[in-house]
Amino acid sequence: MSPKLRRVLQLFARLPGVGEKTAHRYVLHLLTTDPSVAEELGRAVSELHHVFQPCSVCNNLAEVGETPILCDICKDHKRDPSVLCVVAKVSDLLALERPGTLRGRYFVLGGLLSPLEGVGPEALPVPRLVERVRQGGVREVIIATPPSVDGEATALFLRRELGDLGVSITRIASGIPHGGDLEFIDPVTLGRALDGRKVI
Amino acid sequence: MESLLVLALSIRNFRNLAQADFRPSPRFNVFSGDNGQGKTNVLEALYAVLSSKSFRTSKVADLMPHTEPGGVAEVVSVRAKVREGDMTREQRFAVDQGTRSVRIDDKRPRSLLAYATASPVVVFHPGELSLSTGPSAERRKLLDRVALFVAPTGISELEAYTRAQRSRQKTLEARGIDATDVDHWETLVIQHGLALMEARAAAAERIVSRALVAFESIFTTPLGCEISYVPGAPREAEAFRAELRKNRALDLRRGTARIGPHRDDLALSLKGAAARTSASQGQHRALVLALKAAEIAVIGEARGARPVLLLDDVSSELDRARTEALFSFLRATEGQVFLTTTRPELIATEGAERADFQLRQGVISPLS
Ligand SMILES: Nc1ncnc2c1ncn2[C@@H]1O[C@H](COP(=O)(O)OP(=O)(O)OP(=O)(O)O)[C@@H](O)[C@H]1O
Ligand SMILES: [Mg+2]
Ligand SMILES: [Zn+2]
Repeated sequence: MSPKLRRVLQLFARLPGVGEKTAHRYVLHLLTTDPSVAEELGRAVSELHHVFQPCSVCNNLAEVGETPILCDICKDHKRDPSVLCVVAKVSDLLALERPGTLRGRYFVLGGLLSPLEGVGPEALPVPRLVERVRQGGVREVIIATPPSVDGEATALFLRRELGDLGVSITRIASGIPHGGDLEFIDPVTLGRALDGRKVI
Repeated sequence: MESLLVLALSIRNFRNLAQADFRPSPRFNVFSGDNGQGKTNVLEALYAVLSSKSFRTSKVADLMPHTEPGGVAEVVSVRAKVREGDMTREQRFAVDQGTRSVRIDDKRPRSLLAYATASPVVVFHPGELSLSTGPSAERRKLLDRVALFVAPTGISELEAYTRAQRSRQKTLEARGIDATDVDHWETLVIQHGLALMEARAAAAERIVSRALVAFESIFTTPLGCEISYVPGAPREAEAFRAELRKNRALDLRRGTARIGPHRDDLALSLKGAAARTSASQGQHRALVLALKAAEIAVIGEARGARPVLLLDDVSSELDRARTEALFSFLRATEGQVFLTTTRPELIATEGAERADFQLRQGVISPLS
């Protein structure tokens, strides 16, 4: 195989969820359809980092334009500023946006406490988060880190750091996926769902 | 109780087994051959397809056949057609480029735990003599295998416990014993550790009653055998937390946590003395046999299906009396048994249905 082609295949295969086979399919597709598709893709990809930067308020992805750089959520005046949802990564924010029930704002940590990977508290932008809450206007902080060991430790850490700022701090419940049939839920999730039950 | 039955097995590129397809007997299957021919590999392949794991190695890459330098790595694959009651399914275990995958009827299971409990299997191999003579690790593994069936939610927290415990240790090293984040990791060590100890205690309770009965039936003279679960940490949150906190400096110096379920044990004693240091050879073997009999019985009860038994060269490790005890136990418990031996004439199946297979350089051939 030509080294150039192999290089393109390797680049595709580096993407999450793309294996060698899929990389082949993508590249062959691009080679056999209208060349403008590949050109457009290439242009869009090479511009990505110039066009998008972290939002200066919440770290969500934002389109570069006027300064300060603000994401769509931070710009949206209809969003409730009194509810602040803390997530680990941008993809978690996007997942939480999907149900459309949360009308508050976000703060993206960019990672989780993880000493085994060398990530200590100093590596997280917690002072910025504290500052944001301290500025006022926030009534509730929802900690939406994942229910993993690192996610739980981060939640405990944030709870302590935000503890005496006079806001209410809540944690998302980890439970049964919507539409899930109890019989097909794994026991761990089901156990957690039972532990986290609420009076109705 | 229904027995789980392997109706057909198909092995490809598993260690020295290049290709093997056979239909086992529903009762005894005896694999014989000289040393180093691949007998244990057959049991390992069966264990892998039924449980997703090996009983010899934790690295799935070890299962890939050795290749000449520059040779292509083959895909390791084991397929088993399994019957339970009037349902049959096909399970598949594969290792491709060092990565394991498992399927039930071509579908990915919800979790490895779900796969591992679908078709119960119990293996008895010579290394397990260390259940009685060796350190606590083997006994914890026994508790965990049984807990998988009797307390799956709790045992699924083992991984989280281990991660929390190591994170606490790293945090002690990186940030010192007074850092506030040590508190958080300890909170998680306690949360997952308590769940884990509860699961192991439940497993131990079931094992103990069964094992004592089995032990008594091997020795007619009373030996005052006692088996008990010894948790590696207080089973109450506040006491656990106080101990962890007290041990921070010590744990930092020693590089590991002094308390926690990673130190759990199943203590075995005879007439009040620890079996590990005081039992005779025969008593050790009888204890191990009793524990394995208990594992088989408890898993069968909890799962509601009699497990498949794999016995690797056990008569070589047991003396005559213990081998006889084992075979009378095997004849009494119905179910499918796979065993390996260099001396098939010593396998006393006494008229039960039996299939014999010969192994030579990784090739299986039926003997009739
Ligand atoms: N990854 C591998 N690839 C190829 N061959 C392997 C691999 N791992 C082990 N073997 C070979 O498999 C053989 C061992 O097989 P096994 O342990 O099943 O022997 P056995 O018949 O049980 O012998 P024994 O009676 O001594 O226990 C050895 O010849 C070993 O070299
Ligand atoms: Mg062997
Ligand atoms: Zn923003």
